[in-house]
Amino acid sequence: MCMAVPSRVVAIEGLTATVEAFGQERQTSLLLLGDEVAVGDYVILGAGGTFAAEVVPEDAAREALAYLAQVLADGQA
Amino acid sequence: MFPEARLDVTLRVEAGRVAGVNIHSNRLVQASKLFAGRRPDEVTHLLPTLFALCGTAQVLAGLAAMERASGISTSSSQTPARQMLLLAETVTEHGLGLARDWPPLVGAEPDLAAARRLKLAMAAVRPALYPAGDWTRPGGGEVRPSLDALGKAVNEARAAVADILSADAEAVLADPDSFHLWHRSGNRPAARLIDEIMAPDLATFGRGPFLPMPEQGPAGLDARLDGDRDGAYLARPDSHGRVFETGPLARMSWHPAVTAQMGAFGAGLLARMVARLAELASSLQEMDQLVHALSDAPAPAACLVDGAGLGLVEAARGLLAHRVELESGRVKRYQILAPTEWNFHPEGPLARGLMGAPAGPELERRATLLALALDPCVACRVTVENADA
Repeated sequence: MCMAVPSRVVAIEGLTATVEAFGQERQTSLLLLGDEVAVGDYVILGAGGTFAAEVVPEDAAREALAYLAQVLADGQA
Repeated sequence: MFPEARLDVTLRVEAGRVAGVNIHSNRLVQASKLFAGRRPDEVTHLLPTLFALCGTAQVLAGLAAMERASGISTSSSQTPARQMLLLAETVTEHGLGLARDWPPLVGAEPDLAAARRLKLAMAAVRPALYPAGDWTRPGGGEVRPSLDALGKAVNEARAAVADILSADAEAVLADPDSFHLWHRSGNRPAARLIDEIMAPDLATFGRGPFLPMPEQGPAGLDARLDGDRDGAYLARPDSHGRVFETGPLARMSWHPAVTAQMGAFGAGLLARMVARLAELASSLQEMDQLVHALSDAPAPAACLVDGAGLGLVEAARGLLAHRVELESGRVKRYQILAPTEWNFHPEGPLARGLMGAPAGPELERRATLLALALDPCVACRVTVENADA
């Protein structure tokens, strides 16, 4: 499944953000986003993770992360 | 850490030909079974965040499955509104492919300005149809279309695509001469890539037996999914032993520009690339027409009841199927069958197209192009193992 993992923005430098999800940090481009992004926001990344695809509200991101944690715990991932 | 889904394609070369194709996927094809126990509206609320590339199609397939399970017929206003949402996602995904993914294949930079312009234009469609934001509601949300905003969104998307191609998409595909002039011009990376692929050995690359997905999906799909207790079918679907190709080529083989390339070069790399262009152009046209079919409709009072239902949606990458069983207001069972499981099946169109392909220094690149033409929804890596070496 092409599941997206919501990632929390932990730093921004220019149009590149450092994002974190499940303890892993990575860098992603913010060039394709229409919304302003701030540290603490959640984004979902496109395939390969090079570009952030969308900003998601915190409650939706937390809900998705809780589900994905369940997927991990259940051994589906 | 959450593992990143990917596809690994390994080609085994013997006696100068591809003698074996191994496709390994770590995609989470059974993760949706953890929707069990949730309320249906919780699931449709979760789907767009969980699926970055095809969130709209996922929600629409889920809604169709739930409504079918409950015997709900949606109003005539929901159908064009939902089709409009789906087309906006198809235009976005195909356009991003052309602007972001194709240029590096000819050594150019991605056209991010045009990609962003297209993405933002199509992002305006959802609020212009469902201003209350309730489009994920089973039974349908409140449709209150802003025809002005929708018209602007489609025009802006068309202009962004024209930027990506350096010409209007419909004009490029209008007749063989226009197509030839466009790709020979090499004005944009997309034209240069198509021009390169026009070389006969590349145009025909990946040509295998063409088994297009039937328009209504495979016969007996509901029963196959119902009987799939261990998830084996979700990972490797078939229909009476046949593994269909799904996506733009299967849907667009009627288009004159696609028919022309298929006639000349078969269902290979070039036909698949042109089918994607044709679907981009035709989706924009369909959006134009749909604007006139939209009308206001209140959110109906829909009540989900116990039952099982299959929902099918033609997503950008191909047929997406959701099957749901509802019991006492909760999801009892949930299955998702995505197009990538057909196209990247070990006996599917990618494998069939690569089997027997001539070896050579270009094999890895050609196989990568073919994988990209079939457009997986996760990263895909091709490796060549040469037994002759």
